[in-house]
Amino acid sequence: MPPPAAEPGPQPHTVIARQRLHPLSPVLKSVRTLFLIVAAVSWRGLQNLGPDRYALVLLGLLVLVLLYSAVAWRFTGYEVVGRELRIHEGVLFRRTRAVPLERLQSIEVVQPVLARLAGLSELRLDVAGAGKAEAPLAFLPLAEADALRARLLALASRTPAPAAETAPAETGLPEAARSEEPDVYRVDNNDVVVSQFLTPPVMFTPLAVLYIVGQLVFNSEFGVFAVASMVTAVAGTIGAPVMRILNFWNFRIGRTADERLRIRHGKLETRSQVVASRRVQSLTVTWPLLWRGKGWLRVTLAVAGQNSVGADGQQSRAETDRLLPVATVETARAMVPLALPGLDITALPLSPVPDRARWLAPLRRRVLAAGLTEHAFATVDGLLTRQLTVVPYARIQSVRVTEGPWQRRLGLATVYVDVAGSTPAAAVHRPLAEAFAWADELTTRARAARAATV
Amino acid sequence: MTDPRLDSPLHTATRSALDPWPGEVAWRPVSPRLVALELTRVAISTAVMLAVCAVIWFFTSSAWALFAAAAVLVFTVVRGVVAVRAARSYGYAERERDLLVRHGRMVRHLSIVPYARMQYVDVVAGPLERAFGLATVQLHTAAAASDATIPGLEPAEAARLRDRLAALGEDAGEGL
Repeated sequence: MPPPAAEPGPQPHTVIARQRLHPLSPVLKSVRTLFLIVAAVSWRGLQNLGPDRYALVLLGLLVLVLLYSAVAWRFTGYEVVGRELRIHEGVLFRRTRAVPLERLQSIEVVQPVLARLAGLSELRLDVAGAGKAEAPLAFLPLAEADALRARLLALASRTPAPAAETAPAETGLPEAARSEEPDVYRVDNNDVVVSQFLTPPVMFTPLAVLYIVGQLVFNSEFGVFAVASMVTAVAGTIGAPVMRILNFWNFRIGRTADERLRIRHGKLETRSQVVASRRVQSLTVTWPLLWRGKGWLRVTLAVAGQNSVGADGQQSRAETDRLLPVATVETARAMVPLALPGLDITALPLSPVPDRARWLAPLRRRVLAAGLTEHAFATVDGLLTRQLTVVPYARIQSVRVTEGPWQRRLGLATVYVDVAGSTPAAAVHRPLAEAFAWADELTTRARAARAATV
Repeated sequence: MTDPRLDSPLHTATRSALDPWPGEVAWRPVSPRLVALELTRVAISTAVMLAVCAVIWFFTSSAWALFAAAAVLVFTVVRGVVAVRAARSYGYAERERDLLVRHGRMVRHLSIVPYARMQYVDVVAGPLERAFGLATVQLHTAAAASDATIPGLEPAEAARLRDRLAALGEDAGEGL
């Protein structure tokens, strides 16, 4: 791909000179492929070749991979020219990706397990409007990644970059380099574990295990394979909560020096995310049914372009949208303003739907509510899993009003507020006149909020 | 916001999802040829389904093929009526700072898209649309759910709308 045409006007100047990624990066990136090749060769290779030649083939492969890595490394690199970050990669198909810094939503520093062993980390850039995420920068030493993130975010927000040129501190302990800002809040790991056990798949696992044991005891014809497959199934259902526990381990919320939100978590793969509050498109508070006894809730953020893709091109499966994986109302009330300043989730001016909505939502009617707060639009929905969605006026993309045939009979309508990177917030079954008044008011307030922030 | 006056039946009666602000907004209709276009679409799919029925009848001479053909014809009438009503329901209005698009007869939709939120504008014209001399303008924002599609525009009007939207979007600036 040819480099993008130079913009008219002043020639863009190089802000960060071209730098290479860490020499180990291609090796780490190809580790998975290497494993696959070894596995494929091993299956039949050992039989056909005999142990000696087999070892030779493996050695040859290893040398090839190392050679390729050395060549590939020479072509990798990144630089900041003008207002774009350019990422170079590829050997045969050489690729230069230009990421406009204005569109940068948030940057995540991720340490996958293998990279963590090598003290390396990956920079994932969330870019607005990118269906598939832009190229991740993998891999860099942790300290360098942190410093680069700070610089990129500073460049993106058009503030002067930190004066002190951050030298890659190779010797400094990663934790020491990061502990400059104290955490505002730390989620208790026990709560994370308990909360993940209070999810439907885990709650039903004992029943499944009992069933397997029962089959084993009472049914002698029950084959080993059947049991094995059932065990796999149980492991599969438990897998997701366990992955979440590992992902939300050591969940810490902090503030960076420039008032951005910093979220760090992870046991095996550690993640550190920095989000500016003006990049938060919407905020969702969820009360799952099974957590009600504990009075717990979780808070998620929608940041545009959050579908970040890892170094291997796979969609990252870990949930990275949490502000709080588990918390009480008081904690959430204290923490939510970090993401959306001035929002008190316990004191929202919500109004219920009219009584005539009972024909369309007999049970949900008691839950449904919506309202316009000072800075945001808020709706509540969900009978069992209750959900509060808050969209700041400044982040509203468009407003829609729909009126179904039954709603029309009852004089009701639904107001949708569309946001980037998330499902729309819907105020269901509002009186028609109110729906249009709101639609009007929302567009007016959104305009005012936009004018204030630009 | 919850003005009790707004909730009164009298006030509700004057509004509907197709005309929320009576008298305040100048709605523009889409081309009447959109009705013909939609009917042609229905006719084409009916012809295909009838052809399938005919082939089945030809090879099996089963009575079910005739029943199916009859069902297709009844279905076509219903679809035709729905298509005509849906095509006639489209309307749009360019306000000072946002574009309004309304459509739907059974389920009525109204979209309000601020020009400032516009990411890009598409003008699409499929072969059938071109045959009727029509085009569709689609407005995209950063939100996937935003739905502002205006079918059945004269090409000149589509181009004018696209240029105007693009110009308005430019000075309105920032998309997110």
